[in-house]
Amino acid sequence: MARGLGQYIIIRALMIIPTILILYTLVFFFLRILPGNPVMAVVGTKNIPPEQLEHLMQMAGLDKPLYVQYFDYLKGVLHGDFGVTLAFPMGKPVWEYIAQRFPATLELALWAFTVSVLLGLLTGVIGATRKGTKTDSAMRVYSIIAYTLFIPWFGMMLQYLFGIHLHWLPTSGRLDPGVNLHTVTGLYVLDSIITGNWDALVSSVRHLILPALTLGIVLSGAYTRLVRNNMVDVLSQDFIRAYHARGVADRKVMWYALKNAFIPVVTLMGLQFAILLGGAVLTETTFSWPGMGTFLVDRIDYRDYNAIQGAVIFFAFFVGIISLIVDIVYALLDPRVKY
Amino acid sequence: MRRQYATLALVVLVVFSVVASGCISGGGGEEETATIVMGVTDKVTDLDPANAYDFYTWEVLNNVMEGLVKYKPGTLEIEPALAESWEVNEDSTVWTFHLRKDLKFADGTPLTAKDVVRSIERVMTIQGDPSWLVTDFVDKVEAKDDYTVVFYLKQPTAYFLALLTTPPYFPVHPDYAPDQIQSDQTAGGAGPYKITKWVRDEELVLEANPNYYGEKPKTEKIIIKFYRDASTMRLALQNGEIDIAWRTLRPSDIDSLKKDENFNVIEVPGGFIRYICLNTKNDPTNDAKVRQALAAAVDRPEIAQKVFMGTVEPLYSLVPNGMWSHKDVFKTAYGDGNIEKAKALLSEAGYSESNPLEIQLWYTPTHYGDTEADLAQILKEQWEKTGMIKVTIKSAEWGTYTDYARNGQMQVYLLGWYPDYLDPDDYTTPFLKTGANKWAGTGYSNPTMDDLLSQAQRLSDQNERTKLYEQVQDILAQDVPYIPLIQGKLFVVTQKNVKGVTIGPDMIFRYSTLYKE
Repeated sequence: MARGLGQYIIIRALMIIPTILILYTLVFFFLRILPGNPVMAVVGTKNIPPEQLEHLMQMAGLDKPLYVQYFDYLKGVLHGDFGVTLAFPMGKPVWEYIAQRFPATLELALWAFTVSVLLGLLTGVIGATRKGTKTDSAMRVYSIIAYTLFIPWFGMMLQYLFGIHLHWLPTSGRLDPGVNLHTVTGLYVLDSIITGNWDALVSSVRHLILPALTLGIVLSGAYTRLVRNNMVDVLSQDFIRAYHARGVADRKVMWYALKNAFIPVVTLMGLQFAILLGGAVLTETTFSWPGMGTFLVDRIDYRDYNAIQGAVIFFAFFVGIISLIVDIVYALLDPRVKY
Repeated sequence: MRRQYATLALVVLVVFSVVASGCISGGGGEEETATIVMGVTDKVTDLDPANAYDFYTWEVLNNVMEGLVKYKPGTLEIEPALAESWEVNEDSTVWTFHLRKDLKFADGTPLTAKDVVRSIERVMTIQGDPSWLVTDFVDKVEAKDDYTVVFYLKQPTAYFLALLTTPPYFPVHPDYAPDQIQSDQTAGGAGPYKITKWVRDEELVLEANPNYYGEKPKTEKIIIKFYRDASTMRLALQNGEIDIAWRTLRPSDIDSLKKDENFNVIEVPGGFIRYICLNTKNDPTNDAKVRQALAAAVDRPEIAQKVFMGTVEPLYSLVPNGMWSHKDVFKTAYGDGNIEKAKALLSEAGYSESNPLEIQLWYTPTHYGDTEADLAQILKEQWEKTGMIKVTIKSAEWGTYTDYARNGQMQVYLLGWYPDYLDPDDYTTPFLKTGANKWAGTGYSNPTMDDLLSQAQRLSDQNERTKLYEQVQDILAQDVPYIPLIQGKLFVVTQKNVKGVTIGPDMIFRYSTLYKE
């Protein structure tokens, strides 16, 4: 059994490599099939002499044959080097940006994830326990609406309501202007607790609420349905009836049912985390959240090959690791899983 | 059971409202008059003046650095800055500047003539994007003593003082590496502000430079917040998160904020221009009659009103309105929406309703804001009104678009221009001189034009130069390698208590005059 699990983990881990390689190859060639390049995007309509353009192309390494560029970058990545930015500012390690931007995305994702799971569980359980009633239908409608909400639109509605109308919460950014925070992990809430900076804590929590709610609510719809259906399924099983017959308290029975209904939810959590990062791109743009999503969009505007490749590889790697962890947790939770 | 859920829902609600309301009192409640927060959708690309070459970054550099001379706030008049006086030899090839004696960088390091020379030589060595502003003109630069800088120019340059107001000529702190671009260097120069915090694309904090030679800025601290898009910035302004929304709100936002009593909308004439480029090398736009017909059918007031909601003004020359030598040459030659003239010209060029002129009109969707598709659409409608033109609209992202332009792969396309220095030369030579217009891709070349432009560059008498630029504009309206469309206005939207907005014809926002009441 132990060897089986070990092998399973290794095989699953190794599968991340071809996934990333395929993704990198696709991104690499798609970017280059399109005409224009980062140097052109930077230079734009500036009146600079052609020799200088050539010089810039050389500096960016874009004068080399495609296959050389392809393998050079790949070689770098294997050594943990994601190359340097080719557009503004030229020549800065891409890794520095990823290190600076990723914690912002992670923080948003974690909060949104928590919101979505909590809301999903709450609405799902309510639906299941009121099966067939109006409340159940209401939860179903909630799930459909949440699932189909368009993030930028929904985000803007929340911005209008809680920002412009009620003046409760800020509509963009991660901290109030002028609030200084010494970063340790890059997760502002955590950092402000570690450093005992309460101004920054309040400020960062306030800034997180709207984007995390936007993304969290949109993603909660999927949980609602899954939790509800699983709960209904579990609640109709014999062992639940046996609990009731023995006079076990309702609350306890619900807890057992929820535990049993939870296994498929774990799988969904893994999948949702990948979707979450995708959703984070839209949320970040809506809330000017300085994370990987806005970084990627900015860099696509500049056609900054290295930065786009680096960000995509990093994202892919991260999602791969998360789904690996989920698979392992799933395997541990459910003994029926065969490695 | 039911009670439990109700309790849970209540707890969630209470927690949320406590956090929210606790925060209301917690953050940003106290007004700090010594700080002004400004929002922008532009980006600071490169804090190194040897490589920075975009308008917004130049604005930031102008606030943390200064050159030997500068524009008097709000005017086109050049006044002493780091240099207190200067003289020039007879044929304006040797310019001598005398520095102030008490100059220091923001950290207290003395600033002498050697720093000026080092900084300019640095620009020449690094050869970044804007280096041509130095290398095309300056042969060498010398420090005669600690307070005297002498420039030896390659040719007589009448507008050298205007060039000196641009960032490549700003002395930088010795921390800037002598031969490398330092895009995130915050040591700055000797301007009214110094940079105290810089998080790229997020926040830039400026504080008054204690060692500035001139008047102390009215506001101690300026915080600049960078926004992804105009709508988020507008929300932040309405929510009171920022005091000023600067470049660039959308025309529709400006229109509605003008009607809102909570804000001041300040309008400033801007020197940026938009125009249509016409490829003079390829069929059918290689025919001057075709280009003239296209120019005649364009209706600028309609564009200004319908697409830009009055936030721009019609432009009838490449030299902007308000600049000396400007002449409304396109208005005189063609007027606006002159369909009859366009038809006549098209007939002369061999086109008819049954044999229409077919053109592709290109635009780029985001670089000039999201009004660009509308601009292309309205041009199509105006041209098709003749019944003798069929327009296909095409678009490409900025990186691709500029590549196509440089390689002359587009026929008819939209571009815009922000000036490097405020002189008619900057609105004519790069567009019309053979070879200098490679970036625009029109392939335009006319020896008479080249000759006029060269003469105008060398002369120092403004009246004589005016005559030459007027001739240049007349030829432009005949040859039509470009059709000028509109000239921008700039809009600053502030909270009611913000005063002292100063933006001159150079379009640079100087933060030191800002204050809150």
